[in-house]
Amino acid sequence: MTDPDVQIKLIEIMRIIAKSDKPLGARLIADELQNRGYTIGERAVRYHLRVLDERGFTKKHGYIGRTITEFGLKEINDALIGDRLDMVITRIEELVYKTTYDPQEKKGNVIVDVSVIDKRDHEKAMDILKCAIDAGVSISPRIKVLDEGSEEGDISVPDGKFAIANVCSITYDGILLRNGIPSTLLYGGLMQMKAHKPVSFADIIGYSGTSLDPIKIFINKRSTSVLDYIESGTGKLLADLRYVPGSAKEKAREVMELAKGSDIGGYLAIGETGEDVFSVPVEKGKAGISVFTGSNVITAIAEAGIPVNAYPAYSIMDYNMMKKLE
Amino acid sequence: MQKKYCIQFASAKIEDLMFRTTFDPVTREGEVVVNLSIIDKEDLDDVLGIFKMAANSGLTVSPYIRVLHEGDDVEGISVGPGEVGLITMCSITIDGILLKKGVFVKHRFGGLAEIKDGTPLRFTNVLAYHSTTIDPLEVLMFQEITSVIEVLKTGSGKILANLREAPMAARDDIDRILSDMVDVDITGVLEVGEPNVHILNVPMERDRLGIVAIGGTNPMAIVQEYGIGIRVRTMFNVVDFKELYHISEYM
Repeated sequence: MTDPDVQIKLIEIMRIIAKSDKPLGARLIADELQNRGYTIGERAVRYHLRVLDERGFTKKHGYIGRTITEFGLKEINDALIGDRLDMVITRIEELVYKTTYDPQEKKGNVIVDVSVIDKRDHEKAMDILKCAIDAGVSISPRIKVLDEGSEEGDISVPDGKFAIANVCSITYDGILLRNGIPSTLLYGGLMQMKAHKPVSFADIIGYSGTSLDPIKIFINKRSTSVLDYIESGTGKLLADLRYVPGSAKEKAREVMELAKGSDIGGYLAIGETGEDVFSVPVEKGKAGISVFTGSNVITAIAEAGIPVNAYPAYSIMDYNMMKKLE
Repeated sequence: MQKKYCIQFASAKIEDLMFRTTFDPVTREGEVVVNLSIIDKEDLDDVLGIFKMAANSGLTVSPYIRVLHEGDDVEGISVGPGEVGLITMCSITIDGILLKKGVFVKHRFGGLAEIKDGTPLRFTNVLAYHSTTIDPLEVLMFQEITSVIEVLKTGSGKILANLREAPMAARDDIDRILSDMVDVDITGVLEVGEPNVHILNVPMERDRLGIVAIGGTNPMAIVQEYGIGIRVRTMFNVVDFKELYHISEYM
């Protein structure tokens, strides 16, 4: 077994190399390690890189630098579970921080879910998407369709596929933060709907204490019934729950109402301070806010039997680049 | 009584079931915690074959099971027409037995444990019991990230497992109780850690030791990996041990 301290450094070096789209040399890696709070000299980095090469995690390309191998990518995803327990929420907090959308000015970035679908299913998928958006199960009707080969920020679409970017519910947390309201995302879950009204959460999974995205877990488990809901008004939809300080409740409501002017809607309830929201207990002094997740429209496509690779809360995107479906 | 809509976290369900466990490995009497799986009648032989293979390879909590046919009723559990139910032991039985012997373990999480050449290496994905209302080992079965068949064939792959921690002071008792369990074929414990030391890459709290058990859902994960339809309800209930039979009596 490798010494835990050394292993942390090895993994960090691999993460840096994996994030770069071109080969990286020891000097650049040492600089980036510095940014991330590790003080390791260039010489030590070279030593660690040799170890990584030997284990098959990285590959050397002459003097240009190193790239990560398939095996190395797998290792990043599997190693150091102790450090990854809160990885999902940490990544989300990063996206929330990067959200700049201002509902007053009507410009800025929002957080998007990205889903990759085979081109052959394009027509059918888009029909269902339109249907789901019209039924109001998303938080915004605006989407962005990316064709094969296109690149947009950190989204790149493989050949033979196309991608749909839809607004992610965590955008609310970003907008609230911009307005000085601290909102803490707690759970993703399944909302039981009856007669087009939310009744109660049926199951929830916390955003902290997991190495997998709760919404993705529900999508993969195929536990939603979005299509049933669209047809009959009864079914299970994806929703999430966050809390804000009780004192910020009214301000939060104002901001969220204002966002409706930019087609960002879909919040289900703002609870009373300290009271349950859809059967989920909320701490004293906090008010729970529940929102549909944007992934509902994607889940509808998956429920119709079309294979979908869903990446909830994947990236940020300029909201004005996203358009309503005709 | 359960309310119609009730959010209950997995950790609360577990403690309830631990409290209701009465099985004593020495007298072999009492109730154990079980999972219920429902399959199509036609798949029964295949599924039993898989369960037996899993039991022989140590990928079950215990080889004691119960097959439920239409019309059977085991303590109120029954199945619909065309279906067969399989009652298998849940790893919470281990925690319940420890509790009744005075050792209270705390559940941390359920997840995927990577096995390399037959030896548990590390947890790779986890879901904490205190923050989910569905059993992590039930949801992780459906994420297409297990490779239990690979473990059976090659000794390397990813299986379902869960981690709990116990006070260091109870160490000797734990060793003794676990060995009593092995005598009744409850062999689901994968690894017992040293106090204060990482277990399968997971740091422990001060003066606690980790115990990793094999998820009772591994045989079901194999069935799932083979593409056979199966519905699983984990942490289902407690059942008298007398109602279960050794799998070799079924095939």
